[in-house]
Amino acid sequence: MKQNGFHIIFIFFLCTTSVFAQLDSIQQLPEVMLTDSKLVHFSKGFKLEKLSDSIIERNASSLTETLRYNSSIYFKENGFGMVSSPSFRGTNAAQTAVIWNGININSIFTGQTDFNTISPFNYNEISIRSGGGGVQYGSGAVGGSIHLNNSYSFKKIDSTQVSLNYGSFSTVGGNASTTQTWGDHYLSLGVNFVSSENDYDFVGKNRKNNHGQFLRFAATVNEARRLKRGVATWNSEYTYNDRNFSGSLNTIGKDGYKDVATRNLWQLQQKIGVFDTKASVAHLFEQYRYFPDSEKPLFDQGRANTFIGALQTEIFLRKKLRINGKMEYSYITAKGDNVGKNSRKTLAAVVLLNHKISAAFSYGINFRKEFLNDFDNPFLFSADVKWSVSKNYELRLNGSKNYRVPTFNDLYWYAGGNIALQPETSYQLELGQEFSFGKLKADIATYYISSEDLIKWIPGSGGIWEPVNINKTRNYGAEVVVGYSVKIFSQHTLGFTANYSYTKAEDLEKEKQLIYVPFHKATGTFQYDFKTLMVYLQGLYNGGIYTTTDNSNAVKAYKIFNLGSEFTFRSNPQITLGARLKNVFDVYYENVAYRPMPSRNLQLFLKFNI
Amino acid sequence: MKKLLFLTFATVLFISCSNDDDPQPGPNPPEAYEKGIFVTNEGPFGAGTGNVTFISEDFTDVQQHIFLTVNGKDLGNIVQSMNFQDENAYIVVNNSQKIEIVNRYSFESVDSIKTGINNPRYFLGTDNNKGYVTNWGDPNDNTDDFVSVVDLRSNAVSATIPVSFGPEKMVSNGNKIYVAHQGGFGQNNLISVISGNTVESTINVGDVPNSMVVSGNSLFVLCGGNPSYTGNETAGSLVKIDLSNGQVSNTYNLAITQHPTGLTIDGANLYYNLDGKVYKVNSASVSLPGAEIINGFFYALEAHNGKLYATDAGDFASNGSLKIFDLSTNQQIQEFQTGIIPGGIYFND
Repeated sequence: MKQNGFHIIFIFFLCTTSVFAQLDSIQQLPEVMLTDSKLVHFSKGFKLEKLSDSIIERNASSLTETLRYNSSIYFKENGFGMVSSPSFRGTNAAQTAVIWNGININSIFTGQTDFNTISPFNYNEISIRSGGGGVQYGSGAVGGSIHLNNSYSFKKIDSTQVSLNYGSFSTVGGNASTTQTWGDHYLSLGVNFVSSENDYDFVGKNRKNNHGQFLRFAATVNEARRLKRGVATWNSEYTYNDRNFSGSLNTIGKDGYKDVATRNLWQLQQKIGVFDTKASVAHLFEQYRYFPDSEKPLFDQGRANTFIGALQTEIFLRKKLRINGKMEYSYITAKGDNVGKNSRKTLAAVVLLNHKISAAFSYGINFRKEFLNDFDNPFLFSADVKWSVSKNYELRLNGSKNYRVPTFNDLYWYAGGNIALQPETSYQLELGQEFSFGKLKADIATYYISSEDLIKWIPGSGGIWEPVNINKTRNYGAEVVVGYSVKIFSQHTLGFTANYSYTKAEDLEKEKQLIYVPFHKATGTFQYDFKTLMVYLQGLYNGGIYTTTDNSNAVKAYKIFNLGSEFTFRSNPQITLGARLKNVFDVYYENVAYRPMPSRNLQLFLKFNI
Repeated sequence: MKKLLFLTFATVLFISCSNDDDPQPGPNPPEAYEKGIFVTNEGPFGAGTGNVTFISEDFTDVQQHIFLTVNGKDLGNIVQSMNFQDENAYIVVNNSQKIEIVNRYSFESVDSIKTGINNPRYFLGTDNNKGYVTNWGDPNDNTDDFVSVVDLRSNAVSATIPVSFGPEKMVSNGNKIYVAHQGGFGQNNLISVISGNTVESTINVGDVPNSMVVSGNSLFVLCGGNPSYTGNETAGSLVKIDLSNGQVSNTYNLAITQHPTGLTIDGANLYYNLDGKVYKVNSASVSLPGAEIINGFFYALEAHNGKLYATDAGDFASNGSLKIFDLSTNQQIQEFQTGIIPGGIYFND
């Protein structure tokens, strides 16, 4: 944790940079372009939810928190702040792709993203795309994908934000970011950190969480430059996490984990005639170090470098037909104490098409074919339809074939890794309906996912565990999203949003619900606004989950409430003060068996908009 | 106060909650477990709890998680092994870093050992005032492995004996303790001979000695051999040691790709697991692999009074089972559900 001091100094250095500023520069967001524009253009018949900044700020301690309280995704979190893996529509942790500016950043080793290592502050936009996205986003976009996007603009922007927060369990955090434009330049810089002793009470157990300290630091640079017929962009981020892994009800925490990731993406976009062409180069680096005893210098480590080169071109004919063709080459080289030194080359060809037949009806067809892989090269496809039946009612329909490639751990783990593994494949169908009556909006999605060749580690002969393509699962369920807001008198607004999901995820051989997939999950937020005062109550219901494959053991359902308030002073600079009381009723709950989650706790924050 | 107690108890129950077979609260009458079989269940990976299943000698009574039932608390994470000494059973809970001591007949908690051990594996008592515990220490450190000497009157560790890496099972003969160094996460090939508080000598055996039995004046050590992934695969073997002089008298090798486990003895016959089969070998005239008698992948194996007790851990993430075979016919005669990863079988005779 030595770097802590350095990080803090860096933040204060940044804080002092922008003294002269205008009050409401960020309110009037000018025309903004996403680094990954495909997301919007070729997902018309898919459920795409964008989380607003205010929602993200409310649950900003980690991406786990942001999504847990604002989506139907379930997170299996090994104690607060520890390893956190998602289950999206009942699929496994490696079947949710995390897409950073259009690039899949799931770990080369585990195939997953640990959602507690990602700061929600680093991005201009966080979106949830439900359902299969394998054609566009590659391996792992099975249950759905989480999109962490940066954007740029060349309108006048001069905006700086600095926030500090302090809370229970010696939790300290800070975030500073500045966005500036001048001439043909766009530049955005940001740093943030959070550090916590994380020694919360196990409610009613007369014990505290031990050995669960964590530190997360992130820094970002996003730059864009307008060129004669296009634009050049650079997106960059660095994250560092240093965590001790906490004990549980019957274990003493001893181990620790440190990870570093850097991500860089350079894109050059040029419009040549009708062709909008983009060349991109990306580099991803990930490194982890696992310390069986955090007090000792012994560790196991792994590091991976991914190089990606891509060329894509898009045409948009008569404002109706949009076609995008892309070739992408990636080279991954990884070295780990448990997996040796290995590499993987993949060439992918992707064709995306969206056709707007009328203002009310559009459809899309997408294909992906891969080459060079050691396993069977997948051919993926998806099709989607969006139909606005009336101004109150819209229909979505999509179907896709998706895959998840074996990870380097699956293939090369010493001992047990199986180089004969094939990708997991899944087929899915989704029907979505959107209702809109004034301020009342509702979305009902129903889906069916059939997966086969799922990779599972099983004990082989001689007692060595080996991964094999053995499992078959069937997932189906429904998701409901409701939003409503009403103005009472002139300056009072009451808002309500809620998510509910029913998920049946069945192991077809055992005919049992998969472990760590709740049948029911619901979230809801009531919000009251008066001028610049905002008060909200946030609730989460997580249904019971099975922890054994024969469904003989379970973790009980729980309900958690958080209460928060914010007040903004219309000063210059604009200052916002906020407080959030989490787990208001001080409920004992576990997210993973025998790992209690935090007792009632308070967070305070102070934010300057300069 | 009573209500509080009840609430605490109820919470404990709910945490370990099992859907269909919640334990009935309240202590059992003394000697409830006097005659029968205990199966220790390691419990799920991660943070869960292991437990102990009891099956009465006449097979009419089966009880799950008896430690929780009797004592109202979880046993702990990774229940590695159990052993008896006099009135007590010593349950080694590896990842919770403790040894729970219970009365072997009532299963009521007597005491626990939490200091002087580090990643404990097995317990062996030698008389009413002395016991030994094998410890891995830090599994990544091959130089800190040790055997703890426990004073069974105070249940305090009175001495530690540094040993070669990966100490596991122990047997005693005369006044000596024989410790098999299976090798932890790696591979070792030694037996340490401990007398009092010192290592008196070591005996080189085959690679990965995983189980031992004493028969007359001989110690049979079953060595799994190095697995293929080590890049230095070696054959499994059965090593016979003459206990009168501590010398290896015979080594019987299997094929290089054969890696046996689970040596057990009943009368004159040795039994072990290999590639989904149980083999029988006459201890007086050893010839490997011996006779194939039963099919099945078993996690633990114990022969006892004409029967073979074998556990099936299934997918290691759901309840396992104990199968009982009649060794005169080699037919299965009983099957009982156990907890998750049933790793040890013990007879309370």
